[in-house]
Amino acid sequence: MTKPTLGVFGLTGCAGDQLVLLDCEDELLTLLDLVDTRDFLMASSNGDEYCPLDVALVEGAVVTDRDEAHLRRIRDRAGLLVALGTCAVWGGIAAMDRRFDRAALAREIYGAAGRTNGRRTALALHEVVEVDASITGCPVEAAQLLEALAHLLRGNPPVFPGYPVCTECRIRECGCLLLEDGKACCGIITAAGCGARCPALGVPCIGCRGPAADPNTESAFRRYRELGLAERDAVAVLRTFAPEAAGEGGA
Amino acid sequence: MSRTLSVEHLARVEGHGGFVVSYDETGVVTQSDFEVFEGMRLLEGLIRGRAFADVAPLVSRICAICSVAHTLASLRATERAFGVTPDGYAASVRDLLLLGESIQSHALHLVFLALPDYVGSADVVEFAQAHGDVVEAGLRVKKAGNTLQTLLGGRAIHPVTPCVGGFVAIPTPETLLQVRAALDGVRDDAQVIAGALVALPPPSAMQGTASFAALRTPDRRYGVGDTIGIWQAGRLRTVPLDEYRTLFDETVVAHSHAKHSRIDGQSLMVGALARLVVNRDWQVDGVSDAAAALGLPLPSSDPLDNNRAQAVELVLDLERASTLVDELLDREPEGASLPVIEPRAATGIAAVEAPRGILVHEYEYDAGGRIVRANVVTPTAVNAASIEDHLRLATEQELADVARRPTASAGVHRSRSDDRRLRQRLEMLVRAYDPCISCSVHVLQRSDER
Repeated sequence: MTKPTLGVFGLTGCAGDQLVLLDCEDELLTLLDLVDTRDFLMASSNGDEYCPLDVALVEGAVVTDRDEAHLRRIRDRAGLLVALGTCAVWGGIAAMDRRFDRAALAREIYGAAGRTNGRRTALALHEVVEVDASITGCPVEAAQLLEALAHLLRGNPPVFPGYPVCTECRIRECGCLLLEDGKACCGIITAAGCGARCPALGVPCIGCRGPAADPNTESAFRRYRELGLAERDAVAVLRTFAPEAAGEGGA
Repeated sequence: MSRTLSVEHLARVEGHGGFVVSYDETGVVTQSDFEVFEGMRLLEGLIRGRAFADVAPLVSRICAICSVAHTLASLRATERAFGVTPDGYAASVRDLLLLGESIQSHALHLVFLALPDYVGSADVVEFAQAHGDVVEAGLRVKKAGNTLQTLLGGRAIHPVTPCVGGFVAIPTPETLLQVRAALDGVRDDAQVIAGALVALPPPSAMQGTASFAALRTPDRRYGVGDTIGIWQAGRLRTVPLDEYRTLFDETVVAHSHAKHSRIDGQSLMVGALARLVVNRDWQVDGVSDAAAALGLPLPSSDPLDNNRAQAVELVLDLERASTLVDELLDREPEGASLPVIEPRAATGIAAVEAPRGILVHEYEYDAGGRIVRANVVTPTAVNAASIEDHLRLATEQELADVARRPTASAGVHRSRSDDRRLRQRLEMLVRAYDPCISCSVHVLQRSDER
């Protein structure tokens, strides 16, 4: 039986989700033995840029024309295209607040002589091509990545809970930073999977995993305003990692 | 007739970049460009208007493998602006966290990215076929670095416990003991990696230019003191961090999203080798012995020696980290609560040594504690000019070697294996800098444009 073929790619991002894969030190060699990794530029010079792939993991947002062209080529070759990490799934930090004019910002930071690819805001993968599965996170959780690979390499999409981080706080029996401590915690609208790592440490969730299923952003926005946040800060809380997810709440 | 060697997407580096060299029929290099294609995320601009407490987690996302370095440089820049000094205990925990990142990063770079080239392997899997012991040792050391970051930072990538003033959660003695156990368990493994660099045949050496920049500190502690050391023309001079803008002479380069830095026209190398050279006068910590054991001359003018320098740091950082743990175990955390932060309109500058070199964050805040302007100078942006200079030098030396062969005909006659060898040599050269290309797009704003 031939091994499933895998490609691992990064568009514009911090490479953190690819690093999570390489950080699975105990499982890595076993994993590499179970799959036929055909294209993984960060780890290997032996990449085949053209062969078909059963599974393609793609990290990062679409920022440059090269990103877009590369993503389309990956889509053409891949059986299952998986958006890996919050930037790929939602746009992530580079897509923060699309009201900013990127071209003007690029000129300001780089000067007139600097070349700019900043004419577009960062796009999530699904805004450019059809995506078969998503593993969110900033970075992704190693356990979820490995679990997802186990499913994907058998041709099945992974399934993750849609409930928010709140649920994981309840399971861990942490105090509620929003209701008890009056902090602007994003956990109520953020996708679970991290085990409520930050709230358990007393750090309000910043929403780095993107939105939970059917998030009530309007209610969250109102609550943050009641806590005394200025409107722009309440909007900023909602829009940092997933601009689309902000919805109409805080417009 | 000129020839061009172009590597559009360099494999086994972090981020998106490549290089192009061209040379004419007399062996003169007419072009040597390091090309960075990383997209601009413009984070320094996007964070404007954010409250000070929100800044560090955002700029952490500039890079995953240097996320601790960015986080700590960011926090310290904010603290400088507001006149806040974390207590000594928190400062030591930060140093320990940074060592954990360096241990992880160097193990990853040496075993996954650099060493395969030494035996002509395309990747770590191929490398493991003949050197499985080195790969397994590398994985264990890498894991120890990650364990340290997870225990102290809450998460290995994009840490969550560091905050303005210190930490939201200070490690308990039990946690510190776990950290030390993780470190002590891989001392021998670090020696295995260092041993590989000694045992495997080194690729052709090169005579490069030896100009280096690094923060001055004898033992990788950055809790206090901010002096940049410059080693140039055989001499060491120091510059206060606040004057960093005078050092990095900016040139905007059309082919790349990273700007190039030179001091007095000379390109600078930053990173492990720079740290060892700039700080060698302290003569502490067994650096000389470790360097000698690896056959590493200090200073070295061969950029490939950055790999050996990383191996020296890997071995010594495990000891330094263990020592820091012991110091922390002997002390009490100085305060149960964080210092009070009173924002003010002010500017703060801070620097740390990321695994691949000096990293500077400068922030300007308004009276309400909102960030008005941010500048980040990353090590790979500083290294870009040095990479280009050495691509040129290495190509010239390689062409001269071929021309000197008894069978060489007039002009530059090159076979395919000559081309392969040149490409291999240049790829290894760039990899030796351990470039972090995601970071390098974040560049210094020209002072005349502010």
